[in-house]
Amino acid sequence: MTTHTDPPEGAHADGDDERLPCGRPLSQVWDDRERRTDTPHLAGCPHCQGAVRDLEQLETAVRGLREETRETSAYDAEPLTRRVMDLVRLELRPGCPVPLGDPAEDLWIMETVAARALRSAAETVEGVRAGSCRVVDAAGAVAVRLDIHAPANAGLRQLAERVRQRVREAADRELGMVTASVDIRVTDLVDTRAEGREGDTA
Amino acid sequence: MTAHTPSAAQAGLVEDVARVVEGVPGVAFLKPGLAARLRSALSRPDAGTGRASIAGVRLTPGPDGTAGRHVDVQVVVVRGVRAVDVARAVRSAVEEHLAVRFPGGPGCRVTVTISGRV
Repeated sequence: MTTHTDPPEGAHADGDDERLPCGRPLSQVWDDRERRTDTPHLAGCPHCQGAVRDLEQLETAVRGLREETRETSAYDAEPLTRRVMDLVRLELRPGCPVPLGDPAEDLWIMETVAARALRSAAETVEGVRAGSCRVVDAAGAVAVRLDIHAPANAGLRQLAERVRQRVREAADRELGMVTASVDIRVTDLVDTRAEGREGDTA
Repeated sequence: MTAHTPSAAQAGLVEDVARVVEGVPGVAFLKPGLAARLRSALSRPDAGTGRASIAGVRLTPGPDGTAGRHVDVQVVVVRGVRAVDVARAVRSAVEEHLAVRFPGGPGCRVTVTISGRV
């Protein structure tokens, strides 16, 4: 776009201010252009005209980038970021493989991958937030232990049963994992009504 | 190194298995090493070489060095497809490929691990 990527000879004579072959400082040429000051020298100098053209190209490129940014501002980068980080975490902390399918099959799934699916399934129950999820080998099947935050106004026994059901379904339908047991541990109660009121008045 | 050395044959077999696995529906890609993932983000590997993917296939050769005695495959699967079904399809595809490539050879054991869902 611009030919001024490398400082030409004598570029440092005035500090960082590049001087064109015609002897005028580049900054002055650009400043004149910004102020729309037409000088007789500019009209007849190919070096100054070239410098102005470079500046115009630069402005066009910046405007194009602004337009692109505006168009992509609606794009939600969060899912992509999450997937990238998932991959990085997989590499760094893959967990242990746990059995997939029938006990006799030599098929496995990494614990972190299974746990993520099961936590998501648990959170389909309204008001539930899933915490730690351990999935361990239990003689060919898997034992799941899931911590959840439950709504304070919920009946915990029924809630835990609903969560357990969703987890079992996800283990079977999404993964194909045989669950020997699913233990749900309520580690906190969340007052969702209070949160809602705070949100209303905010 | 020539194409006739055992290590070259082994590498060729690993690449073959990788191609077979990546062709199985539901497989997003073979589990790559982190370094390979970062490298592939910076430069596109040559088409068809699959260099960035080979970390997902490990082969323990049989005593005669021809057929794979144990093939360990680690794949990332597509979300929305049942993971165990993809794993079974991968195992079948690898077993069939090796049976065709080494007819009459010793059977192989195929281990499939789902290392991610995307």
